[in-house]
Amino acid sequence: MALLEVQNIASGYEGVQILWGVNLKLEPGRLTTLVGSNGVGKTTLLKTVLGLLKPLEGRVTFKDKPITHLPPYARARAGLAMVPEGRQLFTDMTILENLHLGAFSPRSRAGLKQNLEKVYEIFPRLKERANQKAGTLSGGEQQMVAVARGLMAEPEILMLDELSLGLSPLLTLNLFESLTRLKKTGLTMLLVEQNVTMALAVSDYAYVLAEGRVHLEGPARELSKNEEVRRTYLGI
Amino acid sequence: MFAHLSASLVDGLLIGFVYGIAAMGLSLIWGVMRVINLAHGATMALGMFCIYGLFTKLGINPYLGVPLAALLALLFGFLIYGVALHRVMQSGYLYTLLATFAVNMIIIGVGTTLFTTSPRNVDFSLGSLQMGSEILLGTRLVAAVASVVITVALYLFLYFTRTGKAIRAVSNNRAAAELMGISSTQVLALSFGLGTMLAAVAGGLTATFFPFTILSGGAYQLKSFVICVLGGLGNPLGALFGGLILGALEGIVPVFMPVSWVPVVEFGLFVLVLVVRPTGLMGAK
Repeated sequence: MALLEVQNIASGYEGVQILWGVNLKLEPGRLTTLVGSNGVGKTTLLKTVLGLLKPLEGRVTFKDKPITHLPPYARARAGLAMVPEGRQLFTDMTILENLHLGAFSPRSRAGLKQNLEKVYEIFPRLKERANQKAGTLSGGEQQMVAVARGLMAEPEILMLDELSLGLSPLLTLNLFESLTRLKKTGLTMLLVEQNVTMALAVSDYAYVLAEGRVHLEGPARELSKNEEVRRTYLGI
Repeated sequence: MFAHLSASLVDGLLIGFVYGIAAMGLSLIWGVMRVINLAHGATMALGMFCIYGLFTKLGINPYLGVPLAALLALLFGFLIYGVALHRVMQSGYLYTLLATFAVNMIIIGVGTTLFTTSPRNVDFSLGSLQMGSEILLGTRLVAAVASVVITVALYLFLYFTRTGKAIRAVSNNRAAAELMGISSTQVLALSFGLGTMLAAVAGGLTATFFPFTILSGGAYQLKSFVICVLGGLGNPLGALFGGLILGALEGIVPVFMPVSWVPVVEFGLFVLVLVVRPTGLMGAK
């Protein structure tokens, strides 16, 4: 049974409809990826799933319960965490404060100390700089804080939006390696990426979004061999 | 001359602490909510009347009445947020500004009907303290000490409690705070409640200083804006610092020129800081 299900979602911004009936399922323990060119509605879909946008039609269910009517904070408390595009850190606050805020939800409060240790293990640099203001960090370090903050929530589903945006290839590789490690812990993840090659390489299942609809879907390995995907997104 | 100057300066500084508290409320509301609260002065005046009522009708010591006024103001702030602000929070500065202006007019209208505009006076003294040639009024000392305690308490609350961190998170990035499981609506209501509370407390602490009417808050509100600009918005310590500067000015200026020049100097400084250092003297960015 899918952990999260997006059913026939139509969504967009004032006066502009972006998504036209999207269906998507996140199976537990699986790393699902959502790829597609710029502007096809990947971020719009994430925002709709998290409640930052209200859908025009359709519904989102989490553990078989509809959550479409819930405000974003209630969805976060239910176990959905997001590493937003552009990081969206609390820049005036320290790294440690950012991480503590990641564990704000009642469900993640008890495990705060252990989770902090785990997160520091994945990103040792954050421990060294715990009391530095998040706004003073480099882009790569900020992205680490964003991922770490998402993990502090001890989420049921972690959604990552454009993880590689603005990062050097080496840093991107490091972050993707940490995703592979997280996958081994059984965490359900949804990865939204423009870097299609890397996304397909680490994922179990993939959706290709085009013009506001799901254009293709299937196991990531199969999609990476798909002629059209190779031509359009991998440039091969 | 010197004795007169130092007495006047000390007097000004003691009042400056209370100005700081009023400005802190305005600064908190702006910093977290991005709302310019034009009902701030009227709320201060309500704080004065609250102390007045408790003192004259029930015989409650004005300084023991302040915590009660604070609690009432907190609830009043929630009410204003729920009725006047919540629905226009997404609509931009102009709407929230007009909403708080409407609240201001309502408070003043109702206040004028109930209390008229003849000045009231809380006739209460805590004696005075002789220090060398200075005579420090007990009421002003208590108000200054209370202001420092409140500033420290607010600082500790914002930096060392979960709720305080949630307030700072919403102030820093409202959408991201929601994604952390923080209800921004609750935080906004709380911030407005706390800001309103600080206004009423500042009003309550000054109730024994001068006679007042329901319109007396206007001048304090203007001063609060000046102080916020001096100290940098969104910074409680900056607000206290700005309050002290303004209080000191009010003490010093009348020694050298007619009292009517005080606002000219204050607002001259206001414009100067805006031009030279718009983030405030203690502003970070």
